[in-house]
Amino acid sequence: MKYDLFFKMAKEAGLEEAELYINRSTSLSFQLFHGEVVAYENNDSQNVYARGLLHGKAGAASCDTFSKEKCAYLVKEIVQNAKVIENEDPIVIFEGSPRYKKVSSFNKALHDIPFQTKLDKMHKLEAAIKAGDPRIVEVEAVAYSESSEEVLLLNSKGLDLHSKSNYFVTYGAAVAQENGQVKSNYEMKFGNDFDELDEEELARKVVENTVAQLGGEPCESGKYKTVLAPSVVASLLKVFCNYASAEEVQKKSSLLIGKLGQKVASSKVTIEDRPLDKSLFARWFDDEGVATSNKPIVKNGVLNTYLYNLTTAAKEGVQSTGNGYRRGSSVGVSSPYLVLRPGKKSQEELFAEVGDGVYITEVQGLHAGLNPQSGNFSLQSTGFLIKDGKKDRALDIVTVSGNLLSLFGDVIAVGSDSKSLPSGVCCPSVVVRKLGVSGK
Amino acid sequence: MISKKLAIDVLNEALRSGADYAEIFYEDSTAYSVEIENNKVERSSSNSTQGVGIRLLRGNESVYGYTNDLTRKGLIGLAGSLANRFNGERVLSVEDLTQIRAKNRNPVVHSYDDVSKEDKIALIREGTQAIADLGDPRIVRYTGTFLNNHRFVAVFNSKGKWFKRDSEFGRMMYQVIAADQNGFESAYEGPGAQQDISYFRTKVTPKDTALKAANKALLMLTAAECPSGRMPVVIGNGWGGVLFHEACGHPLEASAIAKGLSCFNGMYGKPIASKVVSAVDDSTIPGAWGSIDIDDEGNLGSKRQLIKDGILVDYMVDDFNGRRMGREGNGACRRQNYRYCPTSRMSNTYIENGKSTKEEIIAATKLGLYAVGFNGGSVDPTTGEFNFGCSEAYIIRDGKICEPVKGATLIGKGNEILQKIDMVANDLELGQGMCGAASGSIRTNVGQPTLRVSEITVGGRGGELKL
Repeated sequence: MKYDLFFKMAKEAGLEEAELYINRSTSLSFQLFHGEVVAYENNDSQNVYARGLLHGKAGAASCDTFSKEKCAYLVKEIVQNAKVIENEDPIVIFEGSPRYKKVSSFNKALHDIPFQTKLDKMHKLEAAIKAGDPRIVEVEAVAYSESSEEVLLLNSKGLDLHSKSNYFVTYGAAVAQENGQVKSNYEMKFGNDFDELDEEELARKVVENTVAQLGGEPCESGKYKTVLAPSVVASLLKVFCNYASAEEVQKKSSLLIGKLGQKVASSKVTIEDRPLDKSLFARWFDDEGVATSNKPIVKNGVLNTYLYNLTTAAKEGVQSTGNGYRRGSSVGVSSPYLVLRPGKKSQEELFAEVGDGVYITEVQGLHAGLNPQSGNFSLQSTGFLIKDGKKDRALDIVTVSGNLLSLFGDVIAVGSDSKSLPSGVCCPSVVVRKLGVSGK
Repeated sequence: MISKKLAIDVLNEALRSGADYAEIFYEDSTAYSVEIENNKVERSSSNSTQGVGIRLLRGNESVYGYTNDLTRKGLIGLAGSLANRFNGERVLSVEDLTQIRAKNRNPVVHSYDDVSKEDKIALIREGTQAIADLGDPRIVRYTGTFLNNHRFVAVFNSKGKWFKRDSEFGRMMYQVIAADQNGFESAYEGPGAQQDISYFRTKVTPKDTALKAANKALLMLTAAECPSGRMPVVIGNGWGGVLFHEACGHPLEASAIAKGLSCFNGMYGKPIASKVVSAVDDSTIPGAWGSIDIDDEGNLGSKRQLIKDGILVDYMVDDFNGRRMGREGNGACRRQNYRYCPTSRMSNTYIENGKSTKEEIIAATKLGLYAVGFNGGSVDPTTGEFNFGCSEAYIIRDGKICEPVKGATLIGKGNEILQKIDMVANDLELGQGMCGAASGSIRTNVGQPTLRVSEITVGGRGGELKL
C-alpha cells in the first residue's frame, strides 16, 4: 500500500510511533450572474497530516502531494520538530476503540445527477429571485457547489479507519433598492439529497430576506428583550461551547473552569454534542481514532461534561470523549455537531411572549466584535422591532452587545423552529431577557 | 516545476474548445511554524504545499480547477476536463512562451530555510521570557509564535508569457490572556514583513512586541465598558486603517465594481470622501507585508491612487473583471494558493498623510472616543455596511485622552463614513493583517495616519457617553 513507505521510513528514522491523517476531496461548483455561468470549478485534492513520536515528543508535518520524496520530507521534518518540543503533555497514538458505531453521511445519488440538471435548477432559481419582487434590482449571485470528502486515519499501531461524506450547498443573493436605500441578503440550502432542493422555496426566502430589510432605520439605543434567530444563536453557541473544551480549562482560559455540575446557563438550555446523528456532520471516529458518542454538554442549564481529546484526557486520567479534531497540524478539542434542544413555541409565539423588543436575524464580524476570552461581544446586526407581540419594521444596522455567559443565562424561552446550519450547529430561535442595542 | 514544453501542451489542451485565455499556476511552497506557550515549546510543524491551478476564460466566463497530480497525464487530464465546459472551436493556440521579469523589490537575502529551528525558537523566546519576567499573576496564558513561508510560483499563460515569483516572509505573533476576579481579557500583536529574520531584531523586537501585548491585556482588565451611541471617534494610526480597508477598500475591488455590486458604482471621478482624504493601494513598497512584484496574471505591481482629495480616481483591477469594465488589470490579481481562483485584491492600502497633527485632533475633540487597538472587521461591498472591533480605546474629554474603555465595535456605511472624516494627521503607519475574501486569505497591510470621524455609531456595553 502506498502509505506503507511512510511508516517504514518513520521506523527507520527512530520514531517510536507514527500516524497519517489524510483528507481527500473532490468538488464541483459554479456560479451564475445574469444567466451566464461566470465561474465554474472542478477540483481534486488532498491534505496529508503526519505525526510521529520521538522520545515521547510529537513532531508534525504536512503536505498535499504524496510521493517517496514527500515521505522523506515528512519524516525528516517530524524528527526535527519533535526534537525542539519542550511541553510534556502526553501525546497518544491510539490503538483504536473496542467498538465503533458506524454512521454514514454519504449519498452516492448526489454525484449521479447530471450537471445539466443542477444547472437548470440554478437558472430557475436566478429567474425566480429576479421575478420575486419589483424592488429586487439585482441577483448578486446564484451558486451551487458539491463536495465529496474522505478521511483516512492510519497509524503504526495498526489503526486503519476510513469515512466518507458528501454534501451540496446552494445559495442565492439579491440586492433590493427602495427610496435610495440599498440592502443585500441571501439564503442558502444545504444537504446531500438533491431532491430536497426546492428552488422556488429558496428563491422566496432570498427575496423575503432582502426586501424585508428595506425601510429600516436604527432603533433607540437601550436594553431590549430580544429574539435571536437560529443562525445568530448558532454563531454564539459555537463560541460558548468552546469553553467546555478541557484544553481551555486546563490552560486556565475558559469561563467554565470549576463549573462542572454547576449551573452555567438558564434551565431552558440543553446543548448536546451529537456526532452520531444522521446529519451531514456525522462522525463515528474523531481525528485521533476514538469512537464518538452523543452526549449532553449542558443539561437543563447544568454543565454535564467537559470535552476531551486523548492528550487532555491523559492529563486528568480520564477517558477521551471522542472530541479530538484537527486544527491544522495539531489536534484540538471541538464538536462536529452541536444541537440546542428545541422548545415547543413557534416563532410567532415567541414574538407574542416578548411583546415589545427586537428580533435579531443576522450578526456580522464575530472575529472582530466578539472577545472569545471574556465572552463580551458587540456585533453589527440587523433585524426587526417587535411591537405588540408581532414582528414590526426593519432595523437598519445596529450593534447588539452583551456577554455570552449572561446571554445563555438570560434565555427565557426556546423556540421549536430548529434549523441545521453549515457551521455544524442545529438550533432554534431563543428569547433573551435583555440585550444592549446601540442604534440612534 | 513544470517544463515549458509541458506548459505549452497543457495550455493548448485547455484552449481546444474555444477558451480565449488559459493559464497554469504552479506552486511549490514550504512553511514552518513554532509556538511557545507559557515559555515552553508546544508545537513545531512544517508544511509543504504543491499543486497546480488551471484557469480558462471565455468572455465573461471563468473555469478553474486544481490538482495535486503533477504528472503530464494529470495536468493534461485536468485541462481537458475544464475545456469540456466550452463547446466551441479553437480560437487561440500557444507556440512559445517568453519569460517576463519583474524587479525584485522584496528580496530576502538570508533565506529562512537557512535559519535553524533553534534560532527561530530563540528569537520568539526573547518575547515569552519577557512576559514570564513580568511575574504578573494575572497573566494566565501566553503564546509566542513564529512562522515563515517560502513561496515559489510559476505562471504560464496563453498570452505567450511565463514568469516566476520567489518570495519569503516571516511573522511573529504574541497573544496574552490575563484574568482577575472580574473575568478574562486578551491582547495580540503580530508584526510581519517580506524581509529576513534580522527585521525582527531591528525594526521590531520580540521583547517590545510581547510586552506591548501583555501590557494591553493587563490594561484592559482595568478598563470600563465602552459607552454606546453616535459620537466623534479619533482613530489611531496604523491598524486603524482597517476602517478604510473594510469601508472603502473592498468596495473598490473590481470583483464588486465590475458587476455593478459596489456601493461606489457610478462614482468614478466624483467625490466619495471629504477633501482631506487621499488614499492609495501600493504593492511596490519594498519588503512590505502586502507587496507583490508581479501579480497572478503577469501584470506588474503598481501604486494605485484610489482617492485624491476626496475624488474617486481608480480601483484595484484584475484582467478578468477588467473585461466587464473595458480595461486591463493594474496588478491587483491575487490568490491564497493554487486552490483558489484569483481575483482583484488589496496589497498595502492606506490613507495618506494629512496636514493636522495627532495632538491637534485630540485637542479639537470635546467629547468622544480615541480608538487605538483593533481586531479586524468585515463589510458587505454592495451596501457598504461595515463593522470593526476595537481592542483598546480611551474616552476623550475636553481635548484630553482620559480613561481606557473596552469592547467597542464601530459600524457604519462606507459611502457615508468617508464623507465624515474631518481631520487627518501626518503620522502614517502600516499594520499587518490577513484579509479573507473570494480568492482566500492573503497578506495585506492596512494603514492610516491618526484621523477623526465626526460621527460614527459605537456599540459598547457601557451606556451613554457622558462628559
